[in-house]
Amino acid sequence: MQSEPMERYGEGYLEERNLVQRWPSPIPQILNLVLLAGLFYATWWIFQDPRGWLRMYTPYVGYMYCRWLLIIFIWMVYIFNFWPFRRAWLERTHPLIKAVVLTSVAVVIMVLVIKGFFEGLLGSYAMAYFSPSEMQKLGITDFFAEEYAALAILMFAALASWLSPAWVVGMENAPWQRERQPVRGITILLVTFFLATIIFFMTMHPHMGILYEQWQSFAAIAPPWWHEFADTVSGNFHVSWIMCCTVVVWLVETIWERYPFRLIRHDWLRRCATFFGIIAIAVCCHFFLYFAQELWWGEAVRGTRRLFAPDWRWLHVGEMMIFYLLPALVITFYFNNWPRKGSPTSRILIRTLVALLAAVVLYWLYYNTSHLFLGTQKGFSHPQQFPMIPTIWMINIMLINHWFMDNWPGWKIAPATRTVPGDAAKTGAAPSMQAAE
Amino acid sequence: MTDTSHGSTGDRRAFLRGAAGGTALGALGMMGAYSYSPLRHAHFAKDENEKADIGAVRSLKVTNISETSWFNNADLIGDIRGAGGLLVNQYRFNWPPFANKNGKLAEGSYADGIKHIKDDLPNNLERAWAFQMENAVHPENAGGYAALLEIELRDGSTKKILLDSGWSYDWIDKSFQREGIDKMLANGEIDALVISHEHFDHFWGFPVTMKYAPEIDVYVPEGFYEEGFQYVKDSGHRGALHVLKPGLTQMFDGVAIYNFAIPIITRVYGENSLYVNVEGKGLVSVTGCCHQGIIRFAETALQEIQMEKLYGIYGGLHISPFDDWDPKYDDLVFTLGDYGFEKIGANHCTGLLTVKKFVARGLPVVQGTARFGSKDPVYLGNGDQIGFGVDVALMSPASAHLSGSAGAPATGGDDGSVKGATY
Repeated sequence: MQSEPMERYGEGYLEERNLVQRWPSPIPQILNLVLLAGLFYATWWIFQDPRGWLRMYTPYVGYMYCRWLLIIFIWMVYIFNFWPFRRAWLERTHPLIKAVVLTSVAVVIMVLVIKGFFEGLLGSYAMAYFSPSEMQKLGITDFFAEEYAALAILMFAALASWLSPAWVVGMENAPWQRERQPVRGITILLVTFFLATIIFFMTMHPHMGILYEQWQSFAAIAPPWWHEFADTVSGNFHVSWIMCCTVVVWLVETIWERYPFRLIRHDWLRRCATFFGIIAIAVCCHFFLYFAQELWWGEAVRGTRRLFAPDWRWLHVGEMMIFYLLPALVITFYFNNWPRKGSPTSRILIRTLVALLAAVVLYWLYYNTSHLFLGTQKGFSHPQQFPMIPTIWMINIMLINHWFMDNWPGWKIAPATRTVPGDAAKTGAAPSMQAAE
Repeated sequence: MTDTSHGSTGDRRAFLRGAAGGTALGALGMMGAYSYSPLRHAHFAKDENEKADIGAVRSLKVTNISETSWFNNADLIGDIRGAGGLLVNQYRFNWPPFANKNGKLAEGSYADGIKHIKDDLPNNLERAWAFQMENAVHPENAGGYAALLEIELRDGSTKKILLDSGWSYDWIDKSFQREGIDKMLANGEIDALVISHEHFDHFWGFPVTMKYAPEIDVYVPEGFYEEGFQYVKDSGHRGALHVLKPGLTQMFDGVAIYNFAIPIITRVYGENSLYVNVEGKGLVSVTGCCHQGIIRFAETALQEIQMEKLYGIYGGLHISPFDDWDPKYDDLVFTLGDYGFEKIGANHCTGLLTVKKFVARGLPVVQGTARFGSKDPVYLGNGDQIGFGVDVALMSPASAHLSGSAGAPATGGDDGSVKGATY
């Protein structure tokens, strides 16, 4: 009996597509990065810039949309493998059309999640702090009602943008790796969202619980349980390690090629070691980068503001990490994860150091120029200075280019390597960040 | 044999890779553990810098001319929100006194605004303000911050400093007249005008001071933007302009200004704050908004200035100016008591909620009379005074007779605590 050919969606698409440069290096790299920078600046001006059109950089409203767009992209590509878009459509459609269609879908989902799920459902029927209108009814000024709600909603995205890819990279989609889409996607989405909810209640909910007068002592631990250890009641203590986790997931996935964890042969041991190893590395970065700031600027002083405030120092740990992520992704997406030769140890070491150096340069450039061309606040530590917004905005654009546009215009899919619908859909292999050649 | 050889080479490689990876992770782990351990404090041995001797004064009296920068939070924040948030350049808002004829939110500029009033500065402020009332965004919401510092020096002489010049020409001129500042300025009794920072509510009423004393010495922080310097000129200032660099600048015996180079909302940069060292008492911090944070201000003083102790505070502390909140502000409420201040005259952008939390936590807040636009007696209001090293009446002599119905400081709850605070 002949079986029906299985409908194939985007499983394995990122790994199997063979991206080839249209011109010799460094033309494609320069072309793409210049185009991305132009697109970044144009969209920044339209959506975020305080001097621009929509001026969403308030900052939390703009940050919320930026973070949610990122996690929706991750869900679409990493969790759902482009489902319900078919493999044939992904291979044959022009990259510009794919970008418009897939980004539009992501935006629609993002609006549904923010406006429908958080503000409409949770905000109206569970916790008022998710809904600006509910808070306005309670007497909070409109502007701050929107900011507070945006903060709560974006923290869910921050947690999800760590846990969702961590399940793919660390747990290798197990134990649902053999399920077909959308079953696997829905299952992992629910599991990671459930974990994000638990961690949200233990981290950001106590922060929200003392944001309002009176302290919500019957609904949240007040003052928050971490305040003596972290030297602050602020939830920024958690933002720090969560951001570190998010960045380390992508470092492991891109420039570290899942080393050293891939050396472990036993499946479940490797999965657990990767998942929890990422957390352990992130926690080390969390403490080390706080210490680095103390060495550079001096010891933090509880109760003060700006540069010396513990809450800002914790936040800045996350900000420093995101500066590190940007060059790591550029190396993988546009430089074929250079270098490709040599032992894994030397390759990873070189990439790690190059990304670190690039991050330092980027950091210096950002804090010396961003107020001039992005309309952000001058200096390091002002509450309105939020480098995570432009950096994640740029990452979103890079993801659109790499995931949805096959690195167009500098690269194209080699026609000979295009696949036809087949049995690969059964494998359930975890997608990985395919380096462009 | 060959296979075995390859196998053992592969095993060795795998072992070496594993060992390298494990060592790297172990090193990272040790680094992380050490980074937040008590051992790290050994790296922060405090340098014993030579502290500046700024001298001392016998006493300081501060009169609150106006702490009411605006009258309606919702209108102010609504404008900020409508214009695009807290980073929008303050000269863009079309707020008074820089309204253009368009009068639309976020479509103004200094150049567009000043051309309508330049000819009226500083001697025809009524006409300049009338134009604002017709064209500006929420002109009725403008108030302003200003305070008079009267300092008795050790030689018995007195120095007077005007800290800031408010916002609304109309409001601040009337406030000056209420407290007799107009006459002091006209008579040359006030030695200097210190502008704490470029914000609208502290600086845009500058022409009112120029109306009475165009030759007064003016101190501004380095960080003023081009529009700010132009406004000083356009307002008719003819005296010395001191642009203070970041750090400590002595004004006279016992009094110094510290410029904190910090970014501030609505595209403002840098803030001047004052240290006044009162003989036998300690150091008093006088601030416009204290955007640097009162703890930073206190820590800077402890590191850089010779003093007996930290003694008093007057001014805005910029904690919850819009009745907003962030849990990190609670860190300040938890720790301010550790610094030993004995007299706290916090008002203005400190925010009512913050002061209520201070009071509930037992901090020595001097409460006020809630007159002339001040909303709540929990903190020093307009027309109130505070003395450091000298006893003064709560109401300024000039305003006391104007306020027969002004109430005494209220305490709120039955147990003496102030309602609306958690602690």
